[in-house]
Amino acid sequence: MKRLALILAGAAAAVLAVLAVVYLAFTGPGDIPPATVDFDALGDEEHADLVARGRYVARAADCVACHKSEDGLALAGGLPLETPFGTLYGTNVTPSDDHGIGDWSADDLYRAMVWGINPDGSRLYPAMPYASYHHVARADVDALWLYLMAERPVDKPNRPAELTFPFNIRPAIAFWNLLYRPDDPGLAEVAGKSESWHRGRYLVDVLGHCGECHTPRNLAYARTDAHLEGEVIEGALSPDISPEGLVRRGWTPEDLARFMREGLSPQGTMTFRMYPVLEHSSRYLTDADMTAMVTYLFDGAPGDGQRDPALAADAPPRQEADLPPEGRRLYVGLCAGCHGTEGEGHPHASVPLDTNTTAMLDDPLNLVRIIREGVPARTLAGEERMQAMPGFADRLDAAEMAALANYMRVRWGGRPGDVTPEQVEDIAEAHGG
Amino acid sequence: MTPETLSVRMTINGAPVGPVDIPEDLMMLEFLQEYVNLTGTRYGCGQGVCLACGIILDEDDGTSRLVPACITGAAYLDGRSVRTVEGHAARGPDGQVTRLSPIQRAFLEHFSFQCSYCTPGFVNAATVLVERLERAPVPRDEVEATVLAAMDGNICRCTGYVRYLTAVRDVILSTPGLTRGSDPGSRAS
Repeated sequence: MKRLALILAGAAAAVLAVLAVVYLAFTGPGDIPPATVDFDALGDEEHADLVARGRYVARAADCVACHKSEDGLALAGGLPLETPFGTLYGTNVTPSDDHGIGDWSADDLYRAMVWGINPDGSRLYPAMPYASYHHVARADVDALWLYLMAERPVDKPNRPAELTFPFNIRPAIAFWNLLYRPDDPGLAEVAGKSESWHRGRYLVDVLGHCGECHTPRNLAYARTDAHLEGEVIEGALSPDISPEGLVRRGWTPEDLARFMREGLSPQGTMTFRMYPVLEHSSRYLTDADMTAMVTYLFDGAPGDGQRDPALAADAPPRQEADLPPEGRRLYVGLCAGCHGTEGEGHPHASVPLDTNTTAMLDDPLNLVRIIREGVPARTLAGEERMQAMPGFADRLDAAEMAALANYMRVRWGGRPGDVTPEQVEDIAEAHGG
Repeated sequence: MTPETLSVRMTINGAPVGPVDIPEDLMMLEFLQEYVNLTGTRYGCGQGVCLACGIILDEDDGTSRLVPACITGAAYLDGRSVRTVEGHAARGPDGQVTRLSPIQRAFLEHFSFQCSYCTPGFVNAATVLVERLERAPVPRDEVEATVLAAMDGNICRCTGYVRYLTAVRDVILSTPGLTRGSDPGSRAS
C-alpha cells in the first residue's frame, strides 16, 4: 500500500517535472526583433508622423473595440467580453503608470501582441488576439507604441477577469500557447499574389483579426482551419465571410467595401458586435487598404454562376401562394410599413430586406434576435444613418415569430421555412426571455 | 400588379366599423383618415419613430398599448379594438364635445403644446400610461421617472416637453389610485 503511494507520488512528480520543463523551455516568448526606430533620436516631425501611423495601426487593429471603458472612454479598459468560460474585461492601455501601460517599452508591447506575455512574465488570455496579432510588423508595433504613449493617461483600475475553474489558472495558458500560438511571427509571401492581396491578408488576418470572431473554434476555443467560415460568438452569428460564403449571399467586392466604409450596403447594416468595428476601425481605412481587404477576402471566389441559385436574379420568382400565409400577414402588418411590402426599404431609414443577407443564413439566430430585440438608431459613417427598429419580443409569441422568420427566409433568403417555435423559445431564453 | 384586397372589421372608439374592403398593405393611419374619416391621427415621420401617429390598441386581457398607426397594417388590426384622439372626450347626442378627458384638460391648462401636430400621440401615450397605473400604481416618488420613461418616445418640436410632462405628472399625482405611498411599509398601498 505504502509502496503504491510512493509509486503514484513519483509518477505525479515526474509529470509535473515534464510540465515544468515544457513550460519553461517551450512556452515563453520567442524572439523579439530590434526596434525599427531609435526612439531617443526622433525629431518632432518624425515623432508626429509615427504617432499618426500608430493611430492608424490602432484603428486597423480595432484596439478600442475591446479596450474602451464601459462609458466609452477609448483605451481606458473595462468593457466586458463574454466567453463560454466567463467574463473578461478589456484592460487599461493608456499610459497610466499605476493602471495602464505607462511603464511598458516598445519591446514589452511587441511581446504582448506577438507572444501573449506580459512584462512580468504572466500570460495574457487569448481573448487578446495575439494568435492573430502574432504576425504584426515590428515597425507597426513601434508606431503603435509611440501613439499609445502620446495618449492621455487615464488612472482607471483594471477589473479582474471572472472565469470559471480551470480556465482561471493563468499559467495553464502557456500550454494553450504551445498548441495554438503560431511559432514563426513571419508571414510567408505567397507566390503569384499581388501586393494588394498581401496587404489585404495582413489587414484581415493580422491587424483586423477578423478570424477571431468569424472563424469557427474548436473545443479548446482555438480557431480551426475553416478560415472565416462563420461562428457564433457573444450570442450572435458572425457570418461565413469566406469567398464562397460571401458570394453565396450576393456580396460583391464593391458592396463589401461600401459596407465596411459606411456601415450600409444592399446586403444590410452592421449589427451586434460588428457595429463597433465600423465605429472604431473600418470607417478609417484608406481606399487602398479597403481595396486590399476585399481583394484578399474575395480571392478564389467562385464565378457568378456559383451564387446561391435560389437567390439568383433569374431564379423563378417565389409565388406568394407558396409563402407561409401567417408570416405574410405578420410581415405586412408589422414590417412592411418601414421595410416595404416588397422588401424594398426606405433610404436613410430602414434597410431593404429583399437583398439583406440575414435571412440567407442557415442559422436563424441573428434573424430571430433582430426581430425580437430590434436595432437601435445608428449614426453610420458619412451622412448616413438608420432609424431605430423596435423589438417585437412583447408583440409576437414564439409561433408568430417563427412564422415571420420563415416568411423572410423563404421569400428572400433562399432558405427553407423550417424555424420552429421551440428554436425561437431557446433563442429568447438565451437572450433576455 | 393590383394589391390583394382584404375585408376587415374592427371596433374604433367603441363603435363597430366594417366590414370594409382594403388593400392588404394599407397602413392603419391611412385607413383611419381615408376610410373612416377620422383625421385626428397625424402622419409625422412615417417610420414609427415620432409617435405623432400613436393610437391605442386595447388588448383582450384588458391592457392597452400605444401602436404607431403609420407603420402598422390595418389588416393586422382586423378584429381588434382601437382608440384614437377622437375617442377621449365625452360627447353629446349630436357628437359635440361636452367634456374633455383629464389628460386633454391638463394639456390645455398647462399650455402643453403650440402647433399641436404631436398632440394626438401625446394624448394617447399619456392615456395608456394612466390606464397602466390604474392596474399597477407606482410610488409617488417614482412618478417623475415613470412619466419620463413612458412619454420619452413621443417627439415634440415646439414646447420642449416640460409642459407635457408636468401635465401628465399632475394628473397622475391628483388622481386617486394611480400612486401608492412612497414608503409602502408605513402606508397601506
